[in-house]
Amino acid sequence: MMDRYTWPQTIGIYACILVFLTFILLPFFEMFMASLRPLEHLFRAPYQFWSDDFSFGAYSRMWDTVPLLGRYIFNSVFIATAVTAITMVFVVPAAYAYARLDFPFKNASLAIFLGVNMFTGAVLLIPLYRVLRSLGLLNTYWAMIVPGVAFLIPTGIWLLRSYLEKIPRELEEAAYVDGATRMYTLRRVVLPLAVPGLIVVGSSVFIGAYAQQFLFAITFNQTRAYQPLPAGLFEFIGYQSVTWNEMMAAALTGVLPVMLIFLFLQKYLVAGLTAGAIKE
Amino acid sequence: MATLDLTSISKSFGNAAVLHDISLAIRDKEFVVFVGPSGCGKSTLLRIIAGLEAATSGQIVIEGRDVSREHPVERGIAMVFQSYALYPHLTVYENIAFPLRVQKLAEAEVRQKVGRAAEILQLTDKLQLKPGQLSGGQRQRVAIGRSIVRNPKVFLFDEPLSNLDAALRGDMRVELSQLHRSLNATMVYVTHDQIEAMTMADRIVVLNAGRVEQFGTPMELYHHPATKFVASFIGQPNMNLVPATVREATGEGVTVELAGGHVMSVPVEGHAAMKGAKVEVGIRPENVTLAEGAGLDITVNVLERLGGVSITYGTIAGGTRFCATLPGDAAVAEGRNIALAVDPRDCHVFDASGKVLRRRQAPALVA
Ligand SMILES: Nc1ncnc2c1ncn2[C@@H]1O[C@H](COP(=O)(O)OP(=O)(O)O)[C@@H](O)[C@H]1O
Ligand SMILES: [Mg+2]
Repeated sequence: MMDRYTWPQTIGIYACILVFLTFILLPFFEMFMASLRPLEHLFRAPYQFWSDDFSFGAYSRMWDTVPLLGRYIFNSVFIATAVTAITMVFVVPAAYAYARLDFPFKNASLAIFLGVNMFTGAVLLIPLYRVLRSLGLLNTYWAMIVPGVAFLIPTGIWLLRSYLEKIPRELEEAAYVDGATRMYTLRRVVLPLAVPGLIVVGSSVFIGAYAQQFLFAITFNQTRAYQPLPAGLFEFIGYQSVTWNEMMAAALTGVLPVMLIFLFLQKYLVAGLTAGAIKE
Repeated sequence: MATLDLTSISKSFGNAAVLHDISLAIRDKEFVVFVGPSGCGKSTLLRIIAGLEAATSGQIVIEGRDVSREHPVERGIAMVFQSYALYPHLTVYENIAFPLRVQKLAEAEVRQKVGRAAEILQLTDKLQLKPGQLSGGQRQRVAIGRSIVRNPKVFLFDEPLSNLDAALRGDMRVELSQLHRSLNATMVYVTHDQIEAMTMADRIVVLNAGRVEQFGTPMELYHHPATKFVASFIGQPNMNLVPATVREATGEGVTVELAGGHVMSVPVEGHAAMKGAKVEVGIRPENVTLAEGAGLDITVNVLERLGGVSITYGTIAGGTRFCATLPGDAAVAEGRNIALAVDPRDCHVFDASGKVLRRRQAPALVA
């Protein structure tokens, strides 16, 4: 194929990517550096970029400072996974219905879903608190899972619906003519073809669930054993001092497994996000 | 006895009326082709027969039983889609087996039926491949395989060959005709290609803007087109339509003066009242020869020598286009004027509404 960019364009593009990546990655880099520094360094002026007394000590000390750290990391992953699984159970049939079936108020309800997305959790915290209290769910895992699912379903439906719409209708018609029911067709034809889309939607729901759990955790849950990592990180803020280096180490450790999974899923994400962009 | 009868089928999408009062009686084991220009409603009619679309009004009767409200499987139809509609994630074997899996047949029975279909369609060594690894013709055969495992009473094909290249299309035409003979089933086949219609059909339904223009054997349509539309749709190259004025008309024949001044008496059933009327005379390119003396004068614009024949495109004085299929070695050249001999018995006359005047001397209708 022809080279589509001239070299000044190429340089421009790479320069933009560099600036962009710097903004995104610099905080992570700074977190990592902070996690290696002895605590005194953090308050010393002038700022010292490199020093000989860097160590990975914070990575072992953090488990003693906050004994429940492992539990918090587990909770984070557990809550996000549960939210994702439950969300997908609702999103798949709903998205399919929106993609293929005709029913009253189809477009209106879809618009409402989009509208709901504009009120992210924060605005609704107080009513949600009352709802969860009436249901007796405060201070349980459910307190973080249920609102998480509720807020992620609309985006999930929107994303998956547009993916399912790209699956040729004739495939489903062929199955119908051959006597397959809707559910059979969904299971044997539509979902296997939608795997990249499911991965994209699943990942974005997971990211959403991971990001929003902090808000729900500090509002709806007082039980330490159920706290996810972002809430648990508060325990590094002691009465006298804040062990910033350990907090950074813990944050990185908590995010790392998730990042690895996404690195692995990356090719699906890219394939999914650009699906249909080129003619096959 | 898989007869298929349509009675007064109409279909509207919202306000847009797509099919108007279509009635057809298709016989057992017949190969019927729906032909017509793109957008005339062929696919819609086929989908209504299949049960993928509900008719706005009218009835579908298969084997004497009204199936208008039934599921495709209960109707006993199988359909082959234009895009093949193969499941890309399943092997050829599983694609063909799909209708049997839906019926939850035992594995042994599935294997036997898929094996037989694969044998008929020469796919036996392709069963473990995915559709993506097959050529267009092979994919087409898989789609057909999926339709035959269920032993349907009526096969429905929607432009199954339109995605294939010309050479392969010729081969597949022959294969489909053979398949029709060996399966002994009723088949309804949709195409916009009149050559496919002429070569494969027992009878052809010509559709135009959602109406049946004519229903008959290929030779009926060729020799006795009911309308100008059918006449110009069937035959390659298209029939010439020359504007003309009626000089005299009786039940025995009509004397016309063609644009350009050529006068002839065509043996079609006219009536005296037609005198002076504007009509169109239909002359097939293959029905003219170079005249010894005077004839229909045309100026040759483009000459296509194909070896066996020379297709000659020209104009009659006044600008009407005229095409003639002349012998391969005909003494014609671009830019020259030539005179063509036309046997009036081969001509068709269409009145102002496009209806044909009945021909009196023409090959008898084939029953
Ligand atoms: N689902 C539909 N909704 C609205 N209009 C349709 C639909 N399907 C077909 N049509 C219209 O009906 C007409 C006939 O379509 P179709 O049967 O596909 O034509 P053909 O197969 O002869 O090319 C077209 O004008 C098309 O736009
Ligand atoms: Mg069509």
